[in-house]
Amino acid sequence: MFKKIIIKFAFFLNGSKSYKQIKEIASNFLQNQDYHYKKYFDIFMISLIVVSITILVYEVKHEVPKWVDFFDIYIVTFIFTMEYLARLWVYNDWHLLVVKEYGESQFLNRKFSLWKPTKIALHGKIEYLFSPTAVIDLLAILPAYRPLRVLRIFVLFRVFKLLRYTKSINQFLSVLSSKKFELFTLLFLLLFITITAGIAIYVFEQNQNDKIESLFDALYWALITISTVGYGDISPVTPEGRVVSMLIIVTGIAMISFVTSVIVSAFSEKLTELKENRIIEDINKNEEFMIICGYGQMSHMFLKHYASEYNRRYIVIEKDKEKVEEAIKEGYRAINEDASKHNVISKFNTDYAKITLLALTGSDIANIYITLNAKAISRKIRVITRASSDNIAKKCRLAGADSVVMPTLIANRMLFAAITQPVMYKAIYAILTGQHLAQLDEINLTYHQKLVGKKLDELNFKKYKLLCIGLQISASGEFIFNPPMRLHLQEEDILLIMGRKVSIEHFKMLHKEIKYV
Amino acid sequence: MFRQKAFMFGYSQSRLFLAKELGYKLMGFSIIVNDEKSYQKAILDGYSSVRLLDVTDDRALEELPVKDNDYLICVMDDHYLNVFLTLSLHELFPKAIVVALSDSPHTTQKLKMAGASRIIDLYQVSANRIHNILHKPVATKLVERLLSSDEDFSFKEMEIPKGSSLDGVMVDDFDFTLHGVILVGMIDKRLSNQFIFITSGLENRFDVGDTIVCIGYNADLEKFEDYIKL
Repeated sequence: MFKKIIIKFAFFLNGSKSYKQIKEIASNFLQNQDYHYKKYFDIFMISLIVVSITILVYEVKHEVPKWVDFFDIYIVTFIFTMEYLARLWVYNDWHLLVVKEYGESQFLNRKFSLWKPTKIALHGKIEYLFSPTAVIDLLAILPAYRPLRVLRIFVLFRVFKLLRYTKSINQFLSVLSSKKFELFTLLFLLLFITITAGIAIYVFEQNQNDKIESLFDALYWALITISTVGYGDISPVTPEGRVVSMLIIVTGIAMISFVTSVIVSAFSEKLTELKENRIIEDINKNEEFMIICGYGQMSHMFLKHYASEYNRRYIVIEKDKEKVEEAIKEGYRAINEDASKHNVISKFNTDYAKITLLALTGSDIANIYITLNAKAISRKIRVITRASSDNIAKKCRLAGADSVVMPTLIANRMLFAAITQPVMYKAIYAILTGQHLAQLDEINLTYHQKLVGKKLDELNFKKYKLLCIGLQISASGEFIFNPPMRLHLQEEDILLIMGRKVSIEHFKMLHKEIKYV
Repeated sequence: MFRQKAFMFGYSQSRLFLAKELGYKLMGFSIIVNDEKSYQKAILDGYSSVRLLDVTDDRALEELPVKDNDYLICVMDDHYLNVFLTLSLHELFPKAIVVALSDSPHTTQKLKMAGASRIIDLYQVSANRIHNILHKPVATKLVERLLSSDEDFSFKEMEIPKGSSLDGVMVDDFDFTLHGVILVGMIDKRLSNQFIFITSGLENRFDVGDTIVCIGYNADLEKFEDYIKL
C-alpha cells in the first residue's frame, strides 16, 4: 500500500509540468551560470553576506538596534537556510529514480524495490551535504543559534559563501589546484624545514635563551623566520642558533621565490584559457549572438563591414593560433579553439540564446563537420555554411545548414552580369554590396505597426523617393512582386522597398512602432 | 546573343559555370589558358576557341584578335598572375573592357590601379550576402531570383528607340507598374553616361538613345520592350 502511494506520487511529480518548471527555475537560479537572471540572485546573496559581516564587525564595539539583530538572526538565516535546502533539493531527483526503477521492474517482471532508488538518491544527497561548499553553507547558518555565543564566529563562514558567487576567487583556486602537486611538495618541505629548524633551535637555546621556553616557542620562531616575516620577539643568542637562523632565512627566501614562480607559471599557463572562458561567459549573457568559425578572408571581410553592427555580440573561433592573434590585433573577439569539437560549441548558451553560427573555414569538409556538430548540440542554432560547389552545398543542406553561401557562384553571376548586362551591373553591384545609393531593404510590419491597415497608395513612396518592389503576405507566405497599390497591409507582412539608405531609414523611423505581446 | 567578344583568361573548376553561360550568350567567346591540363580540359568540355599561351608574354597576348569594347575576363587562380595580366591587357588593349576577380580589398585596389574596369570582390559580395540572409531574407531571395539564369524573373536594360512612345515623357509621368515592370534606373544621355537610380530624386526625361533598366517577369519585360518600340 505504502509503495503504491509512493509510486503514484513519483509518477505525479514526473507528470507535473508546474513541479518541473519550479524545479527548473530553482536550478537555474542556483546552478546555471548561463541563466540570464542568475546574476541578480548572486548580487542579492552577496549583499546579504556583506550586511551580515558588517553587523558582526559593528557589534564588537557598538550596541545594535533590536531590529538589526532580528534581521541578522532570523531574516538572513532564513534565506540562507532556504537556499541550503533548495540546493539539496535540486541536487538530484528521487522521483525520477523511482519511476525508472518501477519501469524496469515492470519490464523485467521483477519485484519493485523502493529501497534501491531511495538509496541512490540518499547517497547523492549525502554526497552533496559533505561537499565543501555545502559544509560552508551549513556553518554559515549556525550563528543563528544564540545560546552558543561561540558559534558567532561562524559568521565568518558567510564570507566563504562568497566563493559561490564570485568567479574570480573560484578561478584563482582552480588555477592553484592545477599545481597541487608542486604546492603540496613545497608545503611538506616547508613543514620539514620548520620542524627541523625548530627542534635544532630548541636543542641549542632552550637553556640559554629565556624567550624559548618550549618546543612551541621554537617552532613559532622557525615559522616566523622562514616566512621572512621576522617579528623580532624571539631571536637566537648562541652562535649555533644564529647559524640555524642564517640557514633557514636563505631557505625561506628560496622557497618563497619557488612558490611565487609556481603560482606565476600556473597563471601564465592558464591565462589564455581564463581569458577565453571570460569571453565565452560574456557572450553567453546576450540573448542573441553569432559564432563565426574560421578567420579567413570571408570572415575578415564580414567583420570589417558588420562587426560594429553586432556590437560585440559575436565571437570568432579559429584553430590557427596565428590567425587568432591577427583577429585580436584587428580588434575582434576571437578564441583559439576547434569549432568542430562538441565541448567547444556546447560551452555556449544553446538552451536560452538565439545563436547564429557561420561555418566559414576554407575547408568544405571542416564546414560540414562544424554544421553537423552545431546541429547535433541544438537544432535551434541557425547555421550558415560556406561551400565551394553545388555538390558540397547539397551536402551542407543535408547536414542541416539553414543557408549555404557559395562565393564562387556569386562571383560567377556577378561576372556574367558585368559582361552581358553592363548597365544594370551597377544596379546589381550596388544592391549586392549594400551601397548607400541603392539598397534593397525590408520593412517588417511587426516593428512598424503604424503601417498596419494602410493601403499601399496611401504610403506615397514617390514622396520618400522609394520604390515598392514587393510584398510578402504573412498569412499565406506568398511574395507579390510589384503589388497592386489598392492592397491593404496586414500584421507581420514584409514590405520590400528600394532606395537610398537615408530615404529608407527616414521612412522606417516615421513608421516605427513595435508591437509588444 | 551579344555582339561583343569575350576572352576568358583561366579555366579552373570554379569557372566552368561562367564559361558555359558566356559561351551560350556571346557570339564570340574564347578561353585562354597557360597550362596544358586546363587546355585539354576546355577542349574536352567542347569549347572550340581555346588557346594555350604564356600569359606573361606580351608578344603572345598582342596576337589575340581583341577589338575595342571587347571583354577581357581575368579569372586566373593565381592572384599575382591575375594582377599582372590585368596590367598587361590594359596596356596592350586600352579600349577593351577588363573585368577581373579579386579575393581581398588589397587585390581590388591593385587591380584598379592595374586598369581593370570592373572588379568583383569575391569575399565582399559573399560577406554582404551573409548579412542579407540574416537581416533581409525576403530581399535576398529576390536578388537570388534576379541573378539566377533559371528564373523567369530578371533585370532588363532597354534602349529607347526612335519613334518610341516614351520619347519626351517625364519619368514621373509614366506608370511602369501598369505594364507589370518596375523602373530601377536609367542612363540619361543628355546628362552623362552614368547610371542614375530612379530613387536618387532627379527629374529626368526619357529621350531617344537613353537606356532604361527595369525588373519584372521575363514575359512582361519582353512585352514592355515591344511596347516602347511603338
